[in-house]
Amino acid sequence: MNTLKYSKVIALVLALTIVVGLGSALLTSAQQAPRGPWVDEVVFYTESDPDKVVEMLVKNEAQAFFDDLTDPNIFKTVKEKGLSYEFSYGLYYELTFNPVGPEFPATGKLNPFSNAKIREAMNYIVDRTYIASDIMGGLAVPRYTALTPSFPDYARYADVIYEVESTYKYNFEKGKAMIFEEMQKMGAVYRDGKWYYKGEPVTIIFLIRTEDARRAIGDYTASQLEKLGFTVERKYGTSRELSPYWIRGNPADGQWHVYTGGWITTIVSRDEADNFGYFYTKMGRPEPLWQAYVNDPEFYSVAQKLYNKMYKSAEERDELMSKALVLSLKESQRIWLVHLTSLWVRRPEISIAYDLSGGYSGSWLWPWTLRYENRVGGQVKILMPSLLVEPWNAIAGTNWIFDQSIIRATGETAVLPDPYTGLFWPHRVEKAEVYVNEELPVRKTLDWVSLIKVSEVKVPGDAWYKWDASQKKIITVKEALGENVNANAKIVVHYDDKLFSGQYKWHDGSQFSIADIVFAFIITHDRADPASPIYDEAYVPDYEAFMETFKGFKIVSENPFVIEYYTDVWYEDAEWIAEAGADGFWPYYSQGAAPWHALAIGYLAEAEQRLAFSADKADRLGVDWMNYIAGPSLEILKEKLQEAINTGFIPYAEVLGRYASASEVLARYQNLMNWYNSKGHFWVGNGPFYLDVVDTVAKQVVIEAYREHVDTADKWLKFGEPMVPEVSIDPIGTIIQTQPLTTGVRVSFHGQPYSVDDIFYVKYLIIHPGGKFVGYAEAVRDGLYEIRLGPDETGALEEGTAELVVVAVSKLVGTPTIVKTTFTVKSLIGYVGEQVAAVRGDVSGLGSRIGSVESKIDAVSSQVKSVQDQVGSLATVAYAAIGLSIVSLVVGVVAVLMGRKPKT
Amino acid sequence: MALAIIVAVYLTIVIANAGGYVDEIVISELRFNVYESLRTNPAYKGYPPEEIKKLAERIIEQEIKRMGLDQHFIIRSFNYLYNALTLNLGRAMKMFSSSGSNRVWDIIGERLPTTVLLFTTANVLIFACELLLGLLLSRRYGSKLDKTIISLAPLSSMPGWFYGIFMIIIFASWFGVLPYGGLVDAPPPEEPLLYALSVLKHMVLPLLSWSVAYIPIGAYRMRTFFLMFSMEDYVEYARARGVPPRIIERKYVLRPVLPPIITDFVLVLISSWMGAIVTERVFNWPGVGTLMAEAIGINDAPVIIGTATIFAYLLGVSVIVLDVVYALVDPRIKVGE
Repeated sequence: MNTLKYSKVIALVLALTIVVGLGSALLTSAQQAPRGPWVDEVVFYTESDPDKVVEMLVKNEAQAFFDDLTDPNIFKTVKEKGLSYEFSYGLYYELTFNPVGPEFPATGKLNPFSNAKIREAMNYIVDRTYIASDIMGGLAVPRYTALTPSFPDYARYADVIYEVESTYKYNFEKGKAMIFEEMQKMGAVYRDGKWYYKGEPVTIIFLIRTEDARRAIGDYTASQLEKLGFTVERKYGTSRELSPYWIRGNPADGQWHVYTGGWITTIVSRDEADNFGYFYTKMGRPEPLWQAYVNDPEFYSVAQKLYNKMYKSAEERDELMSKALVLSLKESQRIWLVHLTSLWVRRPEISIAYDLSGGYSGSWLWPWTLRYENRVGGQVKILMPSLLVEPWNAIAGTNWIFDQSIIRATGETAVLPDPYTGLFWPHRVEKAEVYVNEELPVRKTLDWVSLIKVSEVKVPGDAWYKWDASQKKIITVKEALGENVNANAKIVVHYDDKLFSGQYKWHDGSQFSIADIVFAFIITHDRADPASPIYDEAYVPDYEAFMETFKGFKIVSENPFVIEYYTDVWYEDAEWIAEAGADGFWPYYSQGAAPWHALAIGYLAEAEQRLAFSADKADRLGVDWMNYIAGPSLEILKEKLQEAINTGFIPYAEVLGRYASASEVLARYQNLMNWYNSKGHFWVGNGPFYLDVVDTVAKQVVIEAYREHVDTADKWLKFGEPMVPEVSIDPIGTIIQTQPLTTGVRVSFHGQPYSVDDIFYVKYLIIHPGGKFVGYAEAVRDGLYEIRLGPDETGALEEGTAELVVVAVSKLVGTPTIVKTTFTVKSLIGYVGEQVAAVRGDVSGLGSRIGSVESKIDAVSSQVKSVQDQVGSLATVAYAAIGLSIVSLVVGVVAVLMGRKPKT
Repeated sequence: MALAIIVAVYLTIVIANAGGYVDEIVISELRFNVYESLRTNPAYKGYPPEEIKKLAERIIEQEIKRMGLDQHFIIRSFNYLYNALTLNLGRAMKMFSSSGSNRVWDIIGERLPTTVLLFTTANVLIFACELLLGLLLSRRYGSKLDKTIISLAPLSSMPGWFYGIFMIIIFASWFGVLPYGGLVDAPPPEEPLLYALSVLKHMVLPLLSWSVAYIPIGAYRMRTFFLMFSMEDYVEYARARGVPPRIIERKYVLRPVLPPIITDFVLVLISSWMGAIVTERVFNWPGVGTLMAEAIGINDAPVIIGTATIFAYLLGVSVIVLDVVYALVDPRIKVGE
């Protein structure tokens, strides 16, 4: 009976174990990364009303919104409703000043902002923290300089910026004093709370934009100006209403004094050095406003060197940047106010990589990282404000930001930008060697690139330079430029081994081949050649700019595929130079990826002047702008495809014919025809998704997972969340001058030590009463850095309260982490004196403590004595009691004896 | 009539271009955008600044030429007028149809079917309801139904889109039974029948909101109209003669009111083709109204002028057609009298 019972129990346990085991196995296998993207299908449709968008996300009608939200009330709702969100740095606001004066030539009226000191003083007059927290409802951070918060240059010069920010923080009285002093020098008179010049009130014409928070910012600033005694004439308007005044009008006409400007960052820029020249000097733009800028010679020289990259080392650049940061605030042709932190919203069960600048839609990695947290596959619905605004073709089709977000999912480049740092990571590339002229201040960060500095970069004569449409041949460097051609950089790119192995395919099943790259080289040149049937004069300016720096292209090896790319373009990051080579003729064109055979039919249609790749040429020819996904273009393209099949058409056959056999050509066209018959469009890419459905009337696009992709979904998983370092400083308390000090800095992410290899630097800044100094913390091990100060360094600190600011910058994310702590600096003598005094105090304290102990002992003694006395008196009482008792006893006995006698 | 159309179209041209000031705005924006796009484009980060400037200026020059802004506005305005009058609506400055055409005809033509589908349906439906209800109420003048409908007439103090917002909150957000907006479900159904049903489902809320806003006041108007006509002397005389009520209604009341009703109907029909900017925005309906809003937003004058021209022509043609129709339906109206 018992045996049977046990058997049942064992069987039950076994069954449960099997079920649990199988379940976990299934769950594990379900979580395994599939080929292509994580999700099966993404549906894009439109909605532009932010309230409706949030409502639809809450109700799970959609899972993400591919545009930013900037309304603080919406932010509140998003938080209340439990939606997930990220921030990006996009728009930034400033005050642009009219610098003409002191009097406007056209009106003879005073322009206070022609005075640099008044412009500088305006930094104190506006409270950026108030604007960020109150007007922007927390969806902004104060901005003081031309460098974008969170971008790499900001992190690089965080110490200088910190100082600038401390110097120019809101101080109305200081700003007012500066302005009053300068106004008087300019001949203005302050009377009854108002400024007058030549008997008339000094009136500031303030152009205030009305489309966004700049209206409130403008009103706030105008009020501050009125508090200073200026008469302010507020002129409200939209961008198009006000742009003729400030950007096109002549500032000397005196039609405005201040404008609430706004700018945007669309990518994580790794080099913002040119911002000083662009925003503060006449180098920036040709418009009259910029041409009216007059700079201090020192600042102009610094800005010019940065604008034209006239520096030879990173150290020299650092020095120039530090100077420019400080001097630009003295110039203040514009003062920066806030950088908006725009909100990107999604449902919590969805994760997605976002770009620090472009949010979800601007991220190149969104197609690879979009996933449900708890499962693989599924459908995701994404809302966009608008889509299908312009035709799609890879050569010169739509540039609409939302269409481009989708297009990026259907094609891929050889390297991909890191959404958090802006550096490039290899995708279809194994490695790259970058040779640069040794005089160029280039540095490298990531391991896939080798940076080699050389005295000169020679371009081989047999490298390809351009395509000649009349001769139908490739012109070599030697033929075009002669011998001894040099370049600033040479990039040797070693592409992925799988590239031409047959595993890597276009969506229509055609194998990716070297012909796709050769075609890209030829068509790049052909469209700018007047002898070509697809010549497009609108393309020529772009092409000429490209040819100013392009020096040559050479296929070194076909399999494995290795190329050399020569250029005069250089960037400070070797990864960016490597990108120029790797993507130079990769078949991802200006507006999307495409195989050569898909573009060949467009070539035929444009050659016959029935369609045109670019809008400009379509206009000139009076034909439709070529559309590979919808509309009447499709019929024409289908006709051209049939023609290509019938004739076995090979574009640029003189060259391409060497890289594509007749059978391959036919097979490709047939694949394309099958694709069209099945999908109803000609959009063929090589990305993780393919284009499935296009509804131009309902404005919807559906893309499906391409499960034959050569990569698995987890390839870019580590970019799902930005690894912003979490930093803490070990407590310091006191630093003694001339005494060495070591203190720890802990760097982690979600509690785990941050790898030293992934940290760019940990910089520290000590601000003490006598000044400041900057240094780098040293790595001890993963997650631990030490700030080590020698006797000389601590000796240089002045006594008083000091602040330690630590800036940690990761290679994996551009956002620096800044933490602060305060401590006390003491001199050795003072410290020793303090210690002696403390010891004295201790000794004196000891004496009094001994005295106190003695008195306590005395007290105890007296207490003991009193107790003894009490005990003594108790004994006496006892003795007396005993005596009395004995006496009483005796008396009692005697009494008893006497009482017995009369009975006898 | 022809002169009226010419004046109307030319006025539209001048207003849409703000007397040529729009050129200034467009060029300012163009300059700003071109420089900014080059400055923020990583591909040009490594280029010498002088090259960037040269490139920017060439792009700006090309764009100005492409948009025809290299010609003075006065000359351009007469070109616009001539093209408009010959119904050659030309090419948009910035907008494109989804098929890739920037011909104004194609752009408007692409949006017109959805507008006609929704707003013509709405207007015909509303018109029919107004007519029938008006007739019914005039017959039951003073009844409970009459009083109820008349008391609902003030609903029309608010436009259709206003009720649309409430409808969305109630039926989409609270009950989740109808969509928030758009033309069709996402993803769009593959089967044509299901697609059509999905479109119908998306039409329910806009139709409902317009019905709430416009039917009561319309019915009230019609009812008053019928009542006024039914009290004419000749109707009273017919009644006195003992003409049956049905014949009185059909021949003595309905027939004389036909010209104003037809006029009303035709004008409503034409205006429905112009869409409704706010309603289309509220329901995210991709029609002519949205197109107009977009065109105004980016100052695409040819699209604005094109839409207005079509409207002016339709109006002109309608007036002529109506004149003929009046003569047909009402024997009292004679040409030349």
